Amino acid sequence: MLLELSGLAAGYGPKTVVSGVSFALEPGQILAFLGHNGAGKTTTLRSIMGLLPLRAGEVRFDGQVLQRMSVADRVAMGLRLLPEGRGIFPDLSVAENIDVVAARNIGADAMFRVPDVYKLFPVLAERPGIRAGSLSGGQQQMLAMSLAILGKPRCLLLDEPSIGLAPNLVERMFQQVREVCKSHAMTAVLVEQNVAAAMKIADRVIIMNNGQIVFDGLPDEARASNFWHYF
Amino acid sequence: MLALQLLVNGLVTGSALGLVAISFSLIYSTTKIFHVAHAGVYTMAGYVAWSLASRGAPDIVTLAVTVAASMAMGAFIQHQLYARLERRRATPLVVLIASLGALAVMQNVIAAIYSPNILQFPVPWGSKMVVLGGVRLTWTQILTVIASLAAYGATIWFFHRTILGKQIRAVASNPFLAEITRLYPQRVYVIVVAIGSAIVALPGILVPLDLGLQPYSGVTPLLTATIAMIAGGIGSITGSFVIAIGIAVLQNLSLLVIPGEWSIGITFFIFVIFMLFRPTGLFAAAR
Repeated sequence: MLLELSGLAAGYGPKTVVSGVSFALEPGQILAFLGHNGAGKTTTLRSIMGLLPLRAGEVRFDGQVLQRMSVADRVAMGLRLLPEGRGIFPDLSVAENIDVVAARNIGADAMFRVPDVYKLFPVLAERPGIRAGSLSGGQQQMLAMSLAILGKPRCLLLDEPSIGLAPNLVERMFQQVREVCKSHAMTAVLVEQNVAAAMKIADRVIIMNNGQIVFDGLPDEARASNFWHYF
Repeated sequence: MLALQLLVNGLVTGSALGLVAISFSLIYSTTKIFHVAHAGVYTMAGYVAWSLASRGAPDIVTLAVTVAASMAMGAFIQHQLYARLERRRATPLVVLIASLGALAVMQNVIAAIYSPNILQFPVPWGSKMVVLGGVRLTWTQILTVIASLAAYGATIWFFHRTILGKQIRAVASNPFLAEITRLYPQRVYVIVVAIGSAIVALPGILVPLDLGLQPYSGVTPLLTATIAMIAGGIGSITGSFVIAIGIAVLQNLSLLVIPGEWSIGITFFIFVIFMLFRPTGLFAAAR
């Protein structure tokens, strides 16, 4: 297993937001991690990254317990977060965004180097000098995805990547995510409000409700069940 | 002729103030800390230089050691004061009060060691006069303008052409993303305060060469620099620099029509005008 959560609990201040969250993902597996607003999806992702301390439980990545590791060490191991709406450096140009992240994250064993991300998202190569904050929503998300995968990503945590995007762009971007994950044996945890689009590319579905897992199964099983009442 | 002399005096003072404004703006736009203790680093630089110069150290050694000492002091304040407070989740107000405290400690330690009275620099060439087109200038004033323009150019080059400069801008632009892309924001904060302290060491040495040293003299330049930073557009190096020069020129030219004690009033008048008509600053978002 690449990513294993067992009995994870986390929260903010006196409030525990998630508890008893357990799942394990294999390399290349795509998980649609769904639930209503405030269900605890983002809190779980932040805990995996080390941005929020655990109150109980354990997170393992590639067999190693992560609790004592810094955020930077987790990123170096291949855990990558694409944060909701904040995945670019808006005041820098497109090329500067890519260069600063590449300088810190590309080693000898990198899977994605600068030319690779320009090949994956050619529209970025067409406008390297444009200020990133002035790109369209779709282009900003492509840049954010580029920054998340530079180097050697092994597990992508995607937090609401479709927010603000046109429906046709969402479908295209999700297909790209699936292709990249499958071709590079990269695991993905996809937190998404666009349930139908997320389930289309997922191998597995987990639904959160009030901080706990209420469904864990295949996309077809989720479709067959009465899961909509959790949203 | 008096107007021309006042204009040149304004340009000289503005050049020095421009460097204080650039350095303060760099630190504030990256760390979001209102680093009032920067005035203490500015003052300390003058006293370090004075100590070395009065012991006969060569000018280049005095400059190098003073810049290094200022960088070390800035890095120490960020690493040992601000970073510790941030780890304890201190509010911006607590950090501001801590910075004011650090400034008070630095000023009083300097006053205790050197005396609160004005000290003159023992550098004979500094006060030698040159007359250019009817305008009288000291070598220190000429050096101030040259050093200021060179430091401004070097700062722009560093932040736009080097990978470290771009990483500092990235941390200023989105510290959360910087954290999860291994740009090490806390380390960058120490570096940017050290760079800001190196820049402010230049006017910290050059202004007292002309006007003498006093332990409490750093606050007024910092106040003007703060106004230049806001009116120039927070995060804009060019904006801070240009507005600082503009303020100094207007302060000097105002002597033609109103008494000198009103010059601080001129500064705040400019500030109010900007707040009313261009609250985001003259060069907003153009770093």
